Amino acid sequence: MPLLQARNVSKNFGGVQALKDVSLDLPESAVLGLIGPNGSGKSTLLNIIAGVEKPTSGLVTLDSKRIDNLRTNRVVRYGLAKTHQIPKPFSNMTARENVAVAVLYGRRNIHSPTPALEEADRILSMVRMGSRKDAPADSLTVQEKKRLELARAIATGASILLLDEVFAGLSPEELKDSIQLFKKLHDELRFSALVVEHVMRAVLSLSQKVMVLEEGRVIATGSPDEIVHDEKVIQAYLGSKNPAA
Amino acid sequence: MNIQKPGLTLYGLFIVMAFLAAAALLFGVAVSSILVFLLIYAALAYSINFITGMIGYVDFGHVLFMAIGSYALATLVSYYGANPLLGVGAGAVLGLVFALGIGLVILRFRGVYFAIATVVLVLAAYNIVLQFPQLGTGGEIIFNLTLQPLTPYFTIWTIVLIEIALTYYVNRSRIGFGIRAIKSEEDAASSVGVSPQRLKLIGYMLGGLFGGAAGGVYSWSTSGVTAGPAFDFTFSLLMLAMIIIGGVGTSIGPLLGAVVVYIPSYFLLTSVAQAQPLIIGLLVIIMALFLPDGIVGLLRRSNERLRLVLE
Amino acid sequence: MVAVELIVRDLAFGLMLGCVFSVVAHGLNIIWGVVKVVNIAHGEFIMLGAYGAYFLNLFAGITPLESAPVNAVIGLLVGYAFYYAFLHRELRNKQTITLQSEMVTLAATFGLSLFISNLAIILFTGNPVGVNYNPGTLQFGYLHVPLAALYVAIVSILIIAGTWLFLEKTFIGSTIRAYSQDVTATELVGANPATVASLATALGFAVTMAGGALLTVWVPVGINPLMGALYAPISFVIVVLGGPGKMWGSLVGGLTLGVLIDLVQAFATAQIAYAAAFLILIPVLVFRPGGILK
Repeated sequence: MPLLQARNVSKNFGGVQALKDVSLDLPESAVLGLIGPNGSGKSTLLNIIAGVEKPTSGLVTLDSKRIDNLRTNRVVRYGLAKTHQIPKPFSNMTARENVAVAVLYGRRNIHSPTPALEEADRILSMVRMGSRKDAPADSLTVQEKKRLELARAIATGASILLLDEVFAGLSPEELKDSIQLFKKLHDELRFSALVVEHVMRAVLSLSQKVMVLEEGRVIATGSPDEIVHDEKVIQAYLGSKNPAA
Repeated sequence: MNIQKPGLTLYGLFIVMAFLAAAALLFGVAVSSILVFLLIYAALAYSINFITGMIGYVDFGHVLFMAIGSYALATLVSYYGANPLLGVGAGAVLGLVFALGIGLVILRFRGVYFAIATVVLVLAAYNIVLQFPQLGTGGEIIFNLTLQPLTPYFTIWTIVLIEIALTYYVNRSRIGFGIRAIKSEEDAASSVGVSPQRLKLIGYMLGGLFGGAAGGVYSWSTSGVTAGPAFDFTFSLLMLAMIIIGGVGTSIGPLLGAVVVYIPSYFLLTSVAQAQPLIIGLLVIIMALFLPDGIVGLLRRSNERLRLVLE
Repeated sequence: MVAVELIVRDLAFGLMLGCVFSVVAHGLNIIWGVVKVVNIAHGEFIMLGAYGAYFLNLFAGITPLESAPVNAVIGLLVGYAFYYAFLHRELRNKQTITLQSEMVTLAATFGLSLFISNLAIILFTGNPVGVNYNPGTLQFGYLHVPLAALYVAIVSILIIAGTWLFLEKTFIGSTIRAYSQDVTATELVGANPATVASLATALGFAVTMAGGALLTVWVPVGINPLMGALYAPISFVIVVLGGPGKMWGSLVGGLTLGVLIDLVQAFATAQIAYAAAFLILIPVLVFRPGGILK
């Protein structure tokens, strides 16, 4: 039984159909890549799963409990956390306080600040930000803010992470570093993840399976290797013969 | 926040409160009739601090709760001959209930929309109160109590003491983390499990509760209530000004703000009464633009030792 | 028939009052729509506009209609200064205004509102003054329409139409519209965002202060330092009704409010009428947060 399921999810914005009959399965500890051109509906799908938006029709279930009608903060209690494409740190706090909020309000059963801050320190070290724990969140670099997003999502105790372009905008060096970090975290924590990404290299090297969206529909699903050779996918990324480039 | 010596601010505030109690007991009526209004101002400042200071939702209509408390006490005392303490309690409960009802609707509006909704609610309430002759002609109720100034004094003193302790506790507890997260990024807060709706409602209801209680003591101390002054924006504005000047969200800021706003108004009343709100306005502008944490922020920046203890 | 005549009369006066409400709110609408800031001191600038008309009438002998353009020029300068003193620090280098910046601007303009109204009490005293301007009345059957109110209504609509034309048809106008959609878009057309934002703010103030002059026709003996406390909330409601940034929204919101107040007043009291006018904001925000216009 897959852990996270979406069934025939559709979403209309006014007259525009952003998603049409999208279904997906995310089994335990799996990493599913989600790619597609700009405006193909990736972020909308992520938002619906995370409870930020409600689907026009269709279902999302987590361990066969319906979650598409829940608010974001309720969904977090079920063990699902999403990062923001544009990082949204709590700028009036330090890095460790940012993470402590997630520890306190996730599903970790840690309710007092002192142990929460200690736990936050541990998680920050895990994402290699231990040395920056006392830095005010708004003084962090873009890469550090993205790591902070990741740290907060992990800190909620989520078993499913929805990662919205956490690898975008990084230098090749930072990207390599981040991919390696992600693999290490995944080995340790065994979460499952839905990874939305423009950076093809990251998606292909992390995911066991990749799903391709175009204009709100799924046009291909398969292993990374199958996807790069799929005619329809190459068509969708018109202009670049090889999307991996 | 990086506070190194937790508790020092709280102990300091308790010492100040002890002095205020001693001053009233030693010098009696002369001092307590001045200080009672300082404490009412402080109680109001702490009450608006729960929603505007801590959560960042600017409440221009907080005087509504004060007015509700004032009317509750005035009605109970003048029509039913009740003990004023009961009136204060009724004011607090009514403030809480109104905050719950209003909050469920208007806390859904964000930022400026919330602020504007609070403005129109007060104006509407003012016009509605004038409709009820039961509340006195022109919304006026006056009563005569053989005033024992120390009773209202120690009532408001107790209210402020509770507010200080609660503010301090909330800031340091789990709920404080959630509240600061909402203040910074409401959406991001809910994406890590914080329920903004619930925490905002808690803050607003605390504001309503203490606003109502302070309003009760206010009409007790002034032996009456009239709709004009009761719903006058002046008090809403003073409350906002006090926390902006003192330092929003902090435990000590509202008291500092109350001192800055009230004490000069008492002594300057006869000489340059007009200049007082003018100076407050100027201070608010300067604080809002250049010193977002008010006097507390200024003190923390000026002295390393203060930076580590002031909360 | 008497009841019908009364309703027609109230409707006519409500529409004319609505026009002047519209123009008074319109300046707020421009600033709110473009730079996404609500100026809490809006009412104080209406008040200054009204005093402007009063003093121009007193010393230069000109009518409120003639003071409006003079006020507008002053408003441009004041608005430009206001942008750099109050908004620039919070808006520069930002794509969208954050909640934190929103709070800062609310608090700072709130302080400004306190400052200006109390300065006005010192300078102008608390005693209300008025402008005497009465060009006669026009008679339609049983309906007597004061020409002053009619002229003001027409000028109000012209001002709103003028700003609409300016924003739709001129290059500067389209740059301002681009800024309101997306701050980066202004850079793409080669304009400096701060310049665009300050221009929009100046335009908003020009309209506000001109509106203050026109308003004096409706408050013949009521110009006073605290009048902003009534007209600012009315402006907030109008802009929310019409939808911030929608130029014709000011007129729709203003007319709705003007008619609502005059009609409710006919059947109940003035207090109930104003309470209704303010409370209408709440259901609109709940059910149509973008305003009543599509």
